[in-house]
Amino acid sequence: MAISVPEYDGVTLEQMYDDPYPTYARLRKEAPVAWLKPANIHVVTKYEDIMQVERDQETFPSYDNRSLMIKVMGHTLMRRDGDDHKRHRKSLERTFSPVSVKKHWKPIFERIADEIIDDLYDKGQADIFADFAAPYASRCLKEVIGLPNMDWQDLSTWSQAFMDGVGNYGNDPETWARAKAAFKGIDNAIEDHYDGLKANPDYSALSSMFEVEDPIDMADIRANIKVIVGGGLNEPRDVTCTIVYALLTNPDQLEKFLANPALYKTIFEEAVRWVSPIGMYPRKVSKRVEIGGAILDEGDALGLVVASANRDSDRFENADKFDIDREKMAHIGFGAGPHFCAGTWVARAQVGEIAIPKLFERLPNLRLDPERESKFGGWVFRGPLSVPVVWDA
Amino acid sequence: MTKLTFILPDGSSQEVEATAGHSVMKTAISNSVNGIVAECNGSLACATCHVFLDDASAAQIDPPGETENDLLDFAAVERKPTSRLSCQVMVDNLPEGAVITMPETQV
Repeated sequence: MAISVPEYDGVTLEQMYDDPYPTYARLRKEAPVAWLKPANIHVVTKYEDIMQVERDQETFPSYDNRSLMIKVMGHTLMRRDGDDHKRHRKSLERTFSPVSVKKHWKPIFERIADEIIDDLYDKGQADIFADFAAPYASRCLKEVIGLPNMDWQDLSTWSQAFMDGVGNYGNDPETWARAKAAFKGIDNAIEDHYDGLKANPDYSALSSMFEVEDPIDMADIRANIKVIVGGGLNEPRDVTCTIVYALLTNPDQLEKFLANPALYKTIFEEAVRWVSPIGMYPRKVSKRVEIGGAILDEGDALGLVVASANRDSDRFENADKFDIDREKMAHIGFGAGPHFCAGTWVARAQVGEIAIPKLFERLPNLRLDPERESKFGGWVFRGPLSVPVVWDA
Repeated sequence: MTKLTFILPDGSSQEVEATAGHSVMKTAISNSVNGIVAECNGSLACATCHVFLDDASAAQIDPPGETENDLLDFAAVERKPTSRLSCQVMVDNLPEGAVITMPETQV
């Protein structure tokens, strides 16, 4: 029998930041749809329930006038529905199609990865997060969005400011201020690149949105660039680090990869499942509906916890374990439905096909630094914060 | 109503009455036919609703558009001349008794 949504108050946001997985496991078991009081949001934690939501855009639209994303970035395509969303999505197709990735972006990503590894090689040690994954993701992203003259560190800072803003369920004023500065910074960079891109169209997201038939408004183009800045940096960066950590802590699996480089595909997808970089994203309830045995009301804000769905034991055996030999099952780390991650094919190439094989090929005997510990953090967005490594230079 | 037959990877088959206006992808999912993942739910952004049509059906309908054609190159199981993304095939355009074969895997 359907019940009203149970409240869950057994965890603090700090505990969620440190490790949300025990809480997710408990919620899946006891209250798969719950009011997570510390975050002021209804959370949906089981795989099938999230799929049900994502297959019904009318009952669960992405637009919500309370959206933190709209507050931080403007009205991006991720908070649009139906034909309006389709039009936005279409305007980015030239940049993100798998064929563009293969023909245009791969050589650029390869060059960037090689340049960073060249600079690191002699040092014999690095933090994969700070010294490789962050600059790599940021330098690739500059090219993909069409702002190649930006400083990669600025882009990285602003990307983090957007993501912190979008996840600012605790309403911290300093976080809002940083997000505001990022908004301005990106707008200025777009201004600086505008004439050049109009004169010489290319595969970048800005150019794709400028040149498409029936282009969207300039304000919307700027908002979409901001959402790509957010999602296009943290996520590939974090998955890169997660994979390095996962392989170095599972030597048997690393050995399999070294013997069979084609496994990069499986490794990439398993890492996105295991520690999903976007842990939760929102939807709104447009009419009274039952989901996961609980009744939701019109106007309720929902958080779809894909990080939890990807550890749902009803779908994945030994879900807490990183295991490239597990039975192949689609995960939901890239979302599902119309908002399925536009950057999926870019990420697969950038991280899975290029960064990971290059790191393990080029850095001999790559291993975790025994002196310095790796750290993970986050729940709305989650990933390694530091993965110190050494190799035989 | 169009009657469709799905052939599953284990060789078994499943017959369903398809609803006009639905895609083959939607028909499979709403009739609990296994073998289609449809990550993007018909947004033409993934390649996880790949199917093989029977020759007559494949010949009868419009060929894949540019994006569908590109995406088919990235399907988990290698494409054949009769490969389609089932989200792009409307049941109304298929002949009565069309046979749709699921690939071994979508991921």
